[in-house]
Parts: sequence; structure tokens; C-alpha cells
Amino acid sequence: MLNHIFKLIWKKKKSNFLMMLEIFVSFLILFAVWSLSVYTYRNYVTPAGLSTDRVWAVYLQFNTDSDSLRRINCDLVSQYLKGNRGIESFAFSSSNLPFGFSTMNNQFEYGGKSVMSDNLAVSADYPSVLGIQMLSGRWFTAADTVGSGKPVVITRRLAAELFGKEEPIGKRISTDRRVVGVVDYFRHKSSFQADENALFEPMNIWDNDLLVKVAPGTDAEFEAQLARSIQKLGKDWTVEIQHLDNMKSTQDKTILIPILILFGVCGFLVFNVGLGLFGVLFQNISRRRGEIGIRRAVGATKKQIMRYFISETLVIATFGVALGVFFAVQIPLLNVFDVEGSVYFWGIVLATLSIYGIAVLCAFYPSRQAAVIYPAVALHEE
Amino acid sequence: MIHLKNIEKVYRTDTVETLALNNITLQIEKGEFLSIMGPSGCGKSTLLNIMGLLDEPTKGQINLDTQEISDFSDKKLSRFRNQKIGFIFQSYHLINDLPVLDNVELPLLYRDVSSAERRRLAAEALEKVGLANRMKHYPSQLSGGQKQRVAIARAIVGQPEIILADEPTGNLDSAMGNEIMEILENLNRADRTTIVMVTHDENMARRTHRLVRLFDGSLVSSNTFVN
Ligand SMILES: Nc1ncnc2c1ncn2[C@@H]1O[C@H](COP(=O)(O)OP(=O)(O)OP(=O)(O)O)[C@@H](O)[C@H]1O
Ligand SMILES: [Mg+2]
Repeated sequence: MLNHIFKLIWKKKKSNFLMMLEIFVSFLILFAVWSLSVYTYRNYVTPAGLSTDRVWAVYLQFNTDSDSLRRINCDLVSQYLKGNRGIESFAFSSSNLPFGFSTMNNQFEYGGKSVMSDNLAVSADYPSVLGIQMLSGRWFTAADTVGSGKPVVITRRLAAELFGKEEPIGKRISTDRRVVGVVDYFRHKSSFQADENALFEPMNIWDNDLLVKVAPGTDAEFEAQLARSIQKLGKDWTVEIQHLDNMKSTQDKTILIPILILFGVCGFLVFNVGLGLFGVLFQNISRRRGEIGIRRAVGATKKQIMRYFISETLVIATFGVALGVFFAVQIPLLNVFDVEGSVYFWGIVLATLSIYGIAVLCAFYPSRQAAVIYPAVALHEE
Repeated sequence: MIHLKNIEKVYRTDTVETLALNNITLQIEKGEFLSIMGPSGCGKSTLLNIMGLLDEPTKGQINLDTQEISDFSDKKLSRFRNQKIGFIFQSYHLINDLPVLDNVELPLLYRDVSSAERRRLAAEALEKVGLANRMKHYPSQLSGGQKQRVAIARAIVGQPEIILADEPTGNLDSAMGNEIMEILENLNRADRTTIVMVTHDENMARRTHRLVRLFDGSLVSSNTFVN
């Protein structure tokens, strides 16, 4: 039967070639959509490594240039927060708080290698506020700071990029930093952020933004009270409180909306291609009513007719898909984006399945239309 | 073998209603060679199509091989067409995109036959109609008579019990027509194949067992020949 199908496809190579091209283009679009979907979904289900539950960001500005004044102010705030029963824990941080709009990164070197990473300067209580778990080693403490080199904590991914399979704890990077701990993940930019490198180091005197973890059941009243109380600790301070949950969903939206728009556009494109395919198949199959009449007359059942045309369409689709796969595999092979190969693998698999699904759908109706008419009627029209 | 009872066929188009067959009752026995004659447009092809299960009558009952076919499923109808009937169309109806051999193979494609066996049987059928040397040709590369012979080969390839031939010699010269007639006669004699043939040629009709005449959709006469 396949041999038979090939002969007929070859005879109509011109119109089939156009159909193949359409399928090829749709395949590429679907491949992009599916790869992006798989990539986004994978990121989404990757552990964040931090919890935003009941964590608030407190953006604090002391409006002073004096380092000693800053230190005094920080102590003041610390003391106040320690005494507040609504606050479970708190930590100071550089201004790149999780899910905020500020980021900071740096090159870190080891063994002649230079790796880019997010860089966060935080206080010792940072992991307890965000529920960060250690994979190995420990977080730095206030006592550490005076030791030889800055103690730093890095993510597993950064450890792997810098040291490969070597033990990261105790390694020195960029001459003045010493790894004391490793955490698994720290995806602090959005729910859809890929697992990226991050390095934590002890806070500097000018790092005076805050994260606070509040007790369960605290309300808006408490929030206003907190802002007012901190404000009152000094003069000219500005205090702004935001919930990490809200910041996170804001970030998620800025990522999700363009993706959804892209999906909409691609969906529209594929829908149109599908419609075109349907039209071409409808026309092709209608034009072959005579042939269908002959097949029916010599004993083909309706089912066999439908199966025949669907198979023919699938064979043509396979050519388009094969060409598409050839181009699609170049992306991981040439390493165009820094994305795992398996994302593309699933992109190809899902795009192929979608194409076959569309092809079957588009071939189903016209071939059924053609199969149900009586052979004599079909032949009469020839 | 074929029993038609009160068959009526009406063609309805937007403007006209044609009564193509009017109350036809006809019994054709197994092994019979029947010819049908009548002026153009009298309903000969329509009648043959209904016998061949290619069209459904507006009214009436068809029994094929003692089975009443009106409540047959599509699958069963198709199996009957495939295994019991070989149809030779007035206008050949070959698939132009397939070579001759593939055209002849077509009925076997819908049977459980290996591809090697299909080739063999198709080649054999083509040999019978004298076209063994044209197997790789496409229908467009053949003359009318050659196409007719391909159509005959396709009808006999599956060794059906019934052959329905719509003017099988209409496009052939008398020598070729005679050859085709001999093929049919041989099938009828040797294999007891039941044959119904539409013809415009009185001489051909005389060579069959019985001739029925159709006029304006009605059976008007029936002659039995003693050959
Ligand atoms: N599909 C159809 N739709 C409408 N009318 C039809 C259809 N098929 C046949 N007819 C009409 O039915 C009548 C019988 O047609 P049929 O083809 O059976 O004639 P015929 O005896 O085979 O003629 P010929 O000798 O020219 O082949 C004709 O009047 C024809 O116009
Ligand atoms: Mg006719």
C-alpha cells in the first residue's frame, strides 16, 4: 500500500511539494512554540529555592552619606525589629531584593575560568528569612567577615561551572572570596526564571534594604504600623514596604504576557496554515472523486478510502516534518541558545505530533465527504 | 445469481426529474451470458450500475447470490463489489496517475493478497487481454482500445463470479472486438462466470445466451438464443 501511495504522491509532486512546504513552515513555528513552552514549563516546575510566604521587602533609604551614621541607623532598625513580636526574622540585603527590579552581577574567576553570576550582598539571617536550604557547607556568619577573604555562598550551578566535579567548599574564587556553602537553587527573578548562577556575600555598610518575615496573621494594619514605626526611628528616612508575593506575580506577568502574545500570534499563523492545508486537501480530494469512485467500485470500503487519504497526507507531512527536523536540530547542535538539548527534543516530538494531528484533522473531513458518495455518482462526475 | 425486482431509478436535479429505470424485474441465472441493448439514454448504464452495487435504486429489491442487499453494511457491500463483481466501464475509468499494472492490481489491493501475488495476477490478466508489453505505460499513453483492454484486465483479475460490461467492445475495431468477445465467452464457458454485457452491436448480442431490450427505462423484450 505504501508503495502505491508513494507512486501517486510522486505523480503529483508539484502540488504535494507546496503542501510539504506549508507543513515545513508550520513545523518550525510549532517547534518554536513547543520548545518555548517546554522551556518555560520546566523553569516553572524547577524549585525556586526560596519561599516568599509572609516575606516583605522593606526598601529603606537613610538619606545620608555618612557610613558611621548608616551603621548606627542599621543597628537602630535591627533593635526595633528584634523587639517587634510581629516580625519572625529579618535580614539586610543589597538593593537587588528577590523579585525586585534591580539586579547585580559580576564575573567570578577560578582556575583561569571566568563565570558570570548574580551577586547578592546580604546579612547572616538572609537564609532563615527566605527559607533557603543549604546543600553543603554553611551560611556565613558575622564572625566570618574578619577571616581570610570574604566568605561566600554559591548556588550548585555556579559551583559546577566554576569547579566542575571538584568539592567547592574551601575553594577561593577571584582571589579574595572563599566558598563556605552551597545552596541548591536560587531563582529570585520570577517563577519562569531559568536556574541561574548566584553568589551571596556578606553585606556592605551601604546595603541597607530589608527583608522581613512576619508572623502568621499579620494584616494591613500591622504593615502600616511597621512602616510608620521604622520611619519614626530617624529623620528623612524613606520607607516602602512591598509583599514579595505581589512582586513575584508582577514579575511573572511581565514574562508571561509577551509569551502569551507570541503564542497567540503563532496560534493564529498555524491556524491559518491549517486552514490552507484543509483547503488544499479539500480541493485535491474533491478533484480525485473519480479515483475514489473507481476505488469504491473495485471494493474499497469508506474506511479504507479515508484511511488511504489520511495515510497519503501523513506521508506528505512526514516529508515536511523531516525537513523541519533537519533545521530544528541545528539549533541545539550549533548551541544557538543556552538551553538544554532535551527541551529541543521535546519541542521536536510535540511539534511532530501536532503536525500529524493537524494533518489527520484536515484530511479527515474531505476524505469522508468523498468516501460517502455512491461510486456511480463519483464516477459520473469525472 | 442476480435478481432484480421492481427496480426504479429516478435522477433528481434542481430542474428535472428523470425516470431512468421504470419497474424493472429481471432474473439472471448463474453462468448466464446476458446482453442488454437499447437506444442511447434508455438507462442501460444505470441498470448495470445498480446490478454492480455502484448505485442504489430509488425503489425495488436486489438479490445477489440469494442475498438481499438493501440492508448490507458498507463493509459487506464493498466486499461483494470486490470479490463477486468485475465491472467494465463504458468510459474505462482508469486511474491516470498509476501505470497500467497498478491499475489492474487495484481490486487485489483491497484483498488479502501479497504484493508479489498481486503483480503476478495482474500480469497474467494483462497477458489475457494482449497487453503484456504495456504494463509500465500510463493510461494517457494508450489508445482507446488499449484502455478498454486494461479495464477488462482489471475486471477479470480477481476472478469474480459476475462480470458487468458496459459496451466493452464499443471502442474497438471488429477484430479487437471479436477478441474481447472471445475472452468473455471463454470466461463464461470455462469458469461459469455470469456475464451481463451492454452492447450496441447486434452481432455481439447474438453470441450471448439472452438479449433484453431496454427502451426509456423499461424492459421491452427478451430473446433467448440457442448457441
Ligand atoms: N447522475 C445522473 N444525474 C441525472 N441524470 C442522469 C444521471 N445519470 C444518468 N442520467 C440520465 O438517466 C438516463 C439514462 O442514462 P444511462 O447512462 O443509463 O443511459 P445509457 O442507456 O447507458 O446510454 P448510452 O447508451 O448513451 O450509454 C439518461 O436520460 C441520463 O441523462
Ligand atoms: Mg451507458
